Amino acid sequence: MANFSIATVFIASISLLLALTHSFSIENPTDRRILVLVDDLALKSSHSIFFSSLQARGFELDFKLSDDPKIALQRYGQHLYDGLILFSPTTERFGGSLDVAAILDFVDSGKDLIVAADANASDLIRNIAAECGIDFDEDQSAVVIDHGSYAVSETEGDHTLIAADDLIQSDVLLGSTKIEAPVLFKGIGHSLNPANSLVVKVLSASPSAYSANPKSKLSTPPSLSGSSISLVSVVQARNNARVVFSGSLDLFSNKFFKSPVQKAGSSNKHAKSGNEQFVTEISKWVFHERGHLKAVNVRHHRVGETEEPTIYRINDDLEYLVEIYEWSGSSWEPYVANDVQIQFYMMSPYVLKTMSTDKKGQYVVSFKVPDVYGVFQFKVEYQRLGYTSLSLAKQIPVRPFRHNEYERFIPTAFPYYGASFSTMAGFLIFSFVYLYSK
Amino acid sequence: MGKSTATTKDDAQALFRSLHSAYSATPTNLKIIDLYVVFAVFTALIQVGYMAIVGSFPFNSFLSGVLSCVGTAVLAVCLRIQVNKENKEFKDLPPERAFADFVLCNLVLHLVIMNFLG
Amino acid sequence: MVGKVDAAKGGAKSLQSPASNQATSKPDLSSISTTFSFKTLKLKTKQQELLIRVTILGLVYILAFITRLFSVLRYESMIHEFDPYFNYRTTLYLTEKGFYEFWNWFDSESWYPLGRIIGGTLYPGLMVTAAIIYWTLKFLRFAVHIREVCVLTAPFFASNTTIVAYFFGKEVWDSGAGLVAAALIAICPGYISRSVAGSYDNEGVAIFALLLTFYLFVKAVNTGSLAWSLASAFGYFYMVSAWGGYVFIINLIPLYVLVLLITGRYSMRLYVAYNCMYIVGMLLAMQIRFVGFQHVQSGEHMAAMGVFFLIQVFYFLVYVKHMLNDTKLFQALLRIGVTSAVAVGAIALGLGTASGYISPWTGRFYSLLDPTYAKDHIPIIASVSEHQPTAWSSFMFDFHILLFLFPAGLYFCFKRLSDATIFIVMYGLTSMYFAGVMVRLILVATPAVCLISAIAVSATIKNLTQAIRGKTTQTTTKALSKQQASLDQTIPYLKNGATALLLGAFYLLSRYAIHCTWVTSEAYSSPSIVLAARGAHGQRIIFDDYREAYFWIRQNTPSDAKIMSWWDYGYQITAMGNRTVIVDNNTWNNTHIATVGRAMSSYEDEAYEIMRSLDVDYVLVVFGGVTGYSSDDINKFLWMVRIGGGVFPVIKEPDYLVNGEYRVDKGAAPKMLNCLMYKLCYYRFGELTTEYGKPPGYDRARGVEIGNKDVKLEYLEEAFTTSNWIVRIYKVKPPTNRW
Repeated sequence: MANFSIATVFIASISLLLALTHSFSIENPTDRRILVLVDDLALKSSHSIFFSSLQARGFELDFKLSDDPKIALQRYGQHLYDGLILFSPTTERFGGSLDVAAILDFVDSGKDLIVAADANASDLIRNIAAECGIDFDEDQSAVVIDHGSYAVSETEGDHTLIAADDLIQSDVLLGSTKIEAPVLFKGIGHSLNPANSLVVKVLSASPSAYSANPKSKLSTPPSLSGSSISLVSVVQARNNARVVFSGSLDLFSNKFFKSPVQKAGSSNKHAKSGNEQFVTEISKWVFHERGHLKAVNVRHHRVGETEEPTIYRINDDLEYLVEIYEWSGSSWEPYVANDVQIQFYMMSPYVLKTMSTDKKGQYVVSFKVPDVYGVFQFKVEYQRLGYTSLSLAKQIPVRPFRHNEYERFIPTAFPYYGASFSTMAGFLIFSFVYLYSK
Repeated sequence: MGKSTATTKDDAQALFRSLHSAYSATPTNLKIIDLYVVFAVFTALIQVGYMAIVGSFPFNSFLSGVLSCVGTAVLAVCLRIQVNKENKEFKDLPPERAFADFVLCNLVLHLVIMNFLG
Repeated sequence: MVGKVDAAKGGAKSLQSPASNQATSKPDLSSISTTFSFKTLKLKTKQQELLIRVTILGLVYILAFITRLFSVLRYESMIHEFDPYFNYRTTLYLTEKGFYEFWNWFDSESWYPLGRIIGGTLYPGLMVTAAIIYWTLKFLRFAVHIREVCVLTAPFFASNTTIVAYFFGKEVWDSGAGLVAAALIAICPGYISRSVAGSYDNEGVAIFALLLTFYLFVKAVNTGSLAWSLASAFGYFYMVSAWGGYVFIINLIPLYVLVLLITGRYSMRLYVAYNCMYIVGMLLAMQIRFVGFQHVQSGEHMAAMGVFFLIQVFYFLVYVKHMLNDTKLFQALLRIGVTSAVAVGAIALGLGTASGYISPWTGRFYSLLDPTYAKDHIPIIASVSEHQPTAWSSFMFDFHILLFLFPAGLYFCFKRLSDATIFIVMYGLTSMYFAGVMVRLILVATPAVCLISAIAVSATIKNLTQAIRGKTTQTTTKALSKQQASLDQTIPYLKNGATALLLGAFYLLSRYAIHCTWVTSEAYSSPSIVLAARGAHGQRIIFDDYREAYFWIRQNTPSDAKIMSWWDYGYQITAMGNRTVIVDNNTWNNTHIATVGRAMSSYEDEAYEIMRSLDVDYVLVVFGGVTGYSSDDINKFLWMVRIGGGVFPVIKEPDYLVNGEYRVDKGAAPKMLNCLMYKLCYYRFGELTTEYGKPPGYDRARGVEIGNKDVKLEYLEEAFTTSNWIVRIYKVKPPTNRW
């Protein structure tokens, strides 16, 4: 009996170790542990398809009420979760030690975030969004109304339920299969802060949409209107943390997943809305199952040599190699693209060339060092929509010729060489003649 | 006008003749030095002409060639001055000392030229 | 002081033969031991004179070295100022890596990201000299650190300069004047200012080389020997390798030759001396990479070439005249020859300058001829305090009694004109003109002033002592005997008067010595890197903030960090902090400096863009508001604005002034109160109380309460402030994550 208990403890500890090693790491960028904050535990069941699809893909979800005092994102400097889902649009204050600064710190340390707002979104959610470049409509009671592309249904007649199909064209963000059916949306709209260069609209409203209170008459033109209204946006931060902002919590709900949709003005009746596909694909992107690149093994050397020098000379021929891999969700696959460029940069690029790949992840380019000396950088700036940004910079000085590296014995100078030697010879002859003549 | 050109022509001829006669009276060793000087200056002029045609690309070679010729010419003239018995300032200077100085200067000159040439 | 009186006396004694009798007769009357020692040492006059001279020179040699050691004794043996740090760093590199690496050194740590070819843009003479001394000492198994050698190089060469001054004075006048010249130049403040121990700068060696070249050239002209001329060519080569001021030599000597030709004092010796020196010297000078082909391409060197051709033509004509023995023909030839030669020369010069092949005078030297040029066109040159015109007080401070002995010496030189005295007169006059244009050039005038004053002193004292000794002088010339006769007539008052004057002369010389020592101690012995002040109880307080900041940088920043600061501190940061800088004291690229100036004078967000484009990681500013240190960046700020505005017209100087006045208090211009330099200097300063009885935020260097006390930094954060707030270092924040 004792042996049996010891064996179970042993096996349990090993499995615990194994479980711990499956957490987020550089070698395995897909998130594992996700904290879900809800303001109403009924969301667990009303959004169960979404949550169970996440769990089926291997994520561990930890559900907590948003004012639970035991909420903690980190303990003793270690992050307890790799991702955060905020499905609590009406929460004014989070429990525990969580606040706007803690959440932004979470993002700034490289973790991912999904935020869903809704009608009556609290200031807390709006502040988090504003810090990421997303400006929700200031009017607390405004929702997105679209009399042009609303979803046809028997019950709601104020056209706040929208069938949106203005999706961004990106295989990385939304997967390679096209989402045929429109996406059902009911909630508030936001605009992107023009000063922010990292935020991207994924699902935009149609040109006939506007954001206003459906129950009151419009006295002034709405501040948000047309396609500048964004319904779902993403931010990929400079440290490759990914954030999704959605103006509607019902976008993720079972009801919207299962309902059929018909866009006003079109005769197509889709049996199922595009919500499930849309949400699945975007969650795959947010949690780094797709579009995550890494660049390793940067090397450079002179053509014909193998070791890496500390300084180059002008007009040298050199070769630069880098390996880029993409995470497929379970392993690193070679990344194949024909637009990875390298710059040889000193205050402005002197050399700009596209790297060629051997399809196994190795990118190589060779070029001639320009005729200018200075401190250059090998710069690879690869920013494509949806992919992690690669920003490699390696500093290398370039020196001019040494005094004995110039051309010697130049043909045009032979007369001068001849003259100099002839004067020397003349000197010798002269001194002999002068001394020995009488 | 004609008279002045005639006189200048006569002057030039008279000049040339008296110079020729005066020059033939110089001692042989001075004549040797003069020949050496002429050779050096001539080489220098050839090089300048060559540079005017071809361009001055390896400028340091051009300079070293020209300066070696000019330098030997100048040093030879200095030797001539020091050895010439008509110069009263140098009558205390033994000709061996003058020649030794000349050799030393030429050595330095040619060493520097060799460094500057390539 | 002992050396001074001895020098004067020695000068007088050397000409008096009976003096030796007196000297030998005296010891016979003293005790047995001394008579024993002196009897065995019975010396003849010539040997006594030699002993006295050698002793005096030895004492002067030691004096010149010792008087420059004040700062080593007071603080420690360290390198002063800014430029010497660069020289030290290059010398260190030379001793570690060898000559070939040094000659080809490409430095990627300064002027980021342009780099600097140090091997080709410096004057290597100083570094090679210090390295040779170091290697010699190492060979003799003296294990000294290269820094000690660097610190003491300048005093060592100052001592050598006194020896050269002795020989030069002997060449120009006589050995008495030489001794006086050596003594005067040993302690003259004009020379000490740039050659104290620790001032490891080009001038320390260059003045030695200058005087040596001039001495060798004058010797060559006097003797007409090719060997001396060759030696002067080597001296010129050493000067070219040591300092950019060699342009003075290459213009003074042709001018001197021209003057001799015009006044008819030419001789064959002049031809030999000038030609050999010019050709061999020019060839040797072109071996220095930094000088390159300037001797044939730059307008500043054209005078020498012009005189070279002129002297060939001139002497050829003299030769022809000698050959012809007929004046009429010769006049014709002369007319044709000279006019054609001058015409050809003028056309060549004109073509060369017009086509741009011969470059015009560079700004540095052009501003000597036209002092107003730099202020309008080249603010960098105008901003250096050493380049301002000299005030009378500086002359008095640096020369003292030599200032009125100089005209007296000129008078004596004109009385006895020879090739050598003409040279020294020309050297003196031209160098005094340039010393009047730029404070820094008092250094070049110092040897001339000392030599000419030495002539005055020596001649005067000789006459006075002759008058005192009266009848016992030899009557070598009739003039002298006539003088003696006239002197003898008024003997009683003459002797007393002469004694009184002699005592007066000694008094003046002793006052000179006291003044020089005081000046050296008070004004010229401060290493500007360590500041000292008097505390409330009179005790000395040392501010070592600069080194504290540089060592913080060295130990607390990543090794590839780039530091942006104003160009004054560049050399020190690279040498002591060992980090890459953006601009430094070499100031070779005006646009780069103007970019830094623009960054310092812009608002914080514009400055952040510029700093990101230059990959700046840290910013360093110098602030004297807490200590009252007045050479800080706020006082230099207007020059940053001017230099930045010179290249980027978006920076306008009137934006920072109020009614033409530069202020930092409440009434200051709004752009001034919000520019980056203001924010970095006064960050958190508004909370600090600096002086009893004054409000917080009182700037002690400007004497006002600052205008903007609530400084908030958005793109930078404070990294380090030294203990007396003199140096402040800020870190540039990376761009925000979500924007």
